[in-house]
Amino acid sequence: MSGPLSPPASGTTEPTRQPNAAASIRGRRQWPLPKQADPDAPLLVVEGLTTHFTMESGTVKAVDDVSFRLDDGEALGIVGESGCGKTTTALSLLRLLPSNARIVRGSVRLFGIDLVPKSDSALRRYRWREISIIFQGAMNALNPVRRVGEQIAEPIELRLGVERGAALRRAGELLELVGIPRARGRAYPHELSGGMRQRAMIAMALACDPAIVIGDEPTTALDVMVQAQILDLLERLRARLGLSLILITHDLSVIADTCDRVMVMYAGKVAEEGPVHRVYRAPRHPYMQMLLRAFPDVRADRRDLGTIPGQPPDLRNPPAGCRFHPRCPAALEACRSEVPPEVRFADGVRVACHLYPPGSDGVPRALPVAGDPEPAR
Amino acid sequence: MSGAAATPANLRGERLRLRLRNLADFGRRFARRRDGLIGLVILAVFAVLAIVPTLIVGPLETATTPSGLSLQAPGGAHLLGTDELGRDMLNLTVHGARISMVIGLLATAVTILLGAVIGIVSGYLGGTTDTILMRITDFFLVLPTFVLALILAPIILDLIGSDAQILGIPSTLFVIIVVIGITSWASTARIIRSQALSVKERMFVARARVIGGGGGHIMWRHILPNVLNLIVANTVLTFAGAILTETTLSFIGLGDPLLPSWGQILNMAQSTGAPGLGAWWYFAPPATCIVLVVLSFTLVGGALDDVLNPRMRSRR
Repeated sequence: MSGPLSPPASGTTEPTRQPNAAASIRGRRQWPLPKQADPDAPLLVVEGLTTHFTMESGTVKAVDDVSFRLDDGEALGIVGESGCGKTTTALSLLRLLPSNARIVRGSVRLFGIDLVPKSDSALRRYRWREISIIFQGAMNALNPVRRVGEQIAEPIELRLGVERGAALRRAGELLELVGIPRARGRAYPHELSGGMRQRAMIAMALACDPAIVIGDEPTTALDVMVQAQILDLLERLRARLGLSLILITHDLSVIADTCDRVMVMYAGKVAEEGPVHRVYRAPRHPYMQMLLRAFPDVRADRRDLGTIPGQPPDLRNPPAGCRFHPRCPAALEACRSEVPPEVRFADGVRVACHLYPPGSDGVPRALPVAGDPEPAR
Repeated sequence: MSGAAATPANLRGERLRLRLRNLADFGRRFARRRDGLIGLVILAVFAVLAIVPTLIVGPLETATTPSGLSLQAPGGAHLLGTDELGRDMLNLTVHGARISMVIGLLATAVTILLGAVIGIVSGYLGGTTDTILMRITDFFLVLPTFVLALILAPIILDLIGSDAQILGIPSTLFVIIVVIGITSWASTARIIRSQALSVKERMFVARARVIGGGGGHIMWRHILPNVLNLIVANTVLTFAGAILTETTLSFIGLGDPLLPSWGQILNMAQSTGAPGLGAWWYFAPPATCIVLVVLSFTLVGGALDDVLNPRMRSRR
């Protein structure tokens, strides 16, 4: 499941450093770390990130107090239903947000450097060179009337100040790296298949040799075969280039295939976070349990898929307490009024749910939803 | 930074090769369009007439001095007959090509340059810039061509003198070019702005901004290629329109009688009453030329639009 370079699934999100693994990956960088960087700091630590959108009808609390950490060479999957703040979280890292959004609180530390207080022009140094994005919907993210190779060369010219001819040659190398013949760089986007366009977007994301690549639903519009190829490609690139990956998706199987850790978001908050195999095998948060039950399983005998009743809340006016409580079958009295604290367990999983009070051992204190054979309707 | 191993000369060679290949691609695709080729051939003929009229029919002085009888029918020494002053019609028409084409080209260049730059900048930047530029555009949009020409012509001629030359262009022609330019850029700007407005909302523009493209880069590399088909179509229409406007302006007497453009010849034919006298050879040659040039430009424009638009390429 995990590539040779991914660190052993570390126990907690507390800084347990693997200086050697990190150093070997950072040693491959094309350019030195930014000046203020702390060479021992973890790659990316996000703490208490809160992003609001100001709308005419009120303030949308799209991301509320989200914390996570990404280590060198690691792949983190962010999963959740539409509008739960996955993309906003990822775009907040580099402040690539629409003009009506702003980061209210929190810190985003890359190599120990906090990016939140930086000015827009100071942030430019990090955009694409340290963190790049594979955009959702490759057809729309490519200019239809310009050759694909030229577009891949664009960040190389703009960001690294490389001369046009050299940038085009490097674009050819990148195309070959993602499995497209160099000559196809002369094609226009509509002349490529969906999978090839997505590969071209990956090549573009890799153009400046970034430390972190964010994949925003990179496989959503593709058929399963191509989807598998793209995920396989990402996996191989991660191992070969020592990339760290943040994969945003609503497809749980994509994360099971590619990621080391998974972060489940609901209504702008982290519900559960931990190593993929732990979270998938023993989900603790009722939301994750229901999500997994709503997902088809080839080996399972079940004919009916579970559904989660109700609607995601209106983020202009989220419910008090736990945001999931109106839909939660195991809701307690406390869920209605108190925001559940995040609790960490020994196996590296972090859960925000009143079923697991601080200091508990990971066994829910009230009605277990996990063993419930009846799918929720 | 990286890629410094390649020598500058190497890189220049590579870039040149790439450009040549793009050009060859373009030529091959254009050659497949028969209508475009026909238009190109007609244009080439007129271009030769316009560039070297002297080699074909002798210098301008021979055209503007009488060489035969008044209103002679075609034949003999005068293949296309003569006008009421006894000037050779063939000679006049060929020299008219140069003047009409120069006016058409320059007026088109002014119009498209102004229209495209203002349209793209206004559409992309939006906000106050857009408002200011579009109010200016509105002002020029409602200016009537002829009234403006009637007012501007004497003013400009007075300022610079009717014998003076501006950039090698006689001031009388310059007035016509300025008038056509001033009155037609506004609609081009409007059209291109509307397209730029829709293009800038597309995702690849946001992507270019994330990658680090500034406003200039995005307008040049992303917006411009996407409005290029509109620019080509507008160039063709403007050129055809400019030739016609020049004809009209000359026809109402704003031209230079010493520089016989096609419109000028038509004006003289009208004031002589050539149609009534049955002297068809007086107005038919310049009129045919105008129709042919406008037609050929439309043909070439249509073909260019197709060839330059990569999305149209798969169909054929």
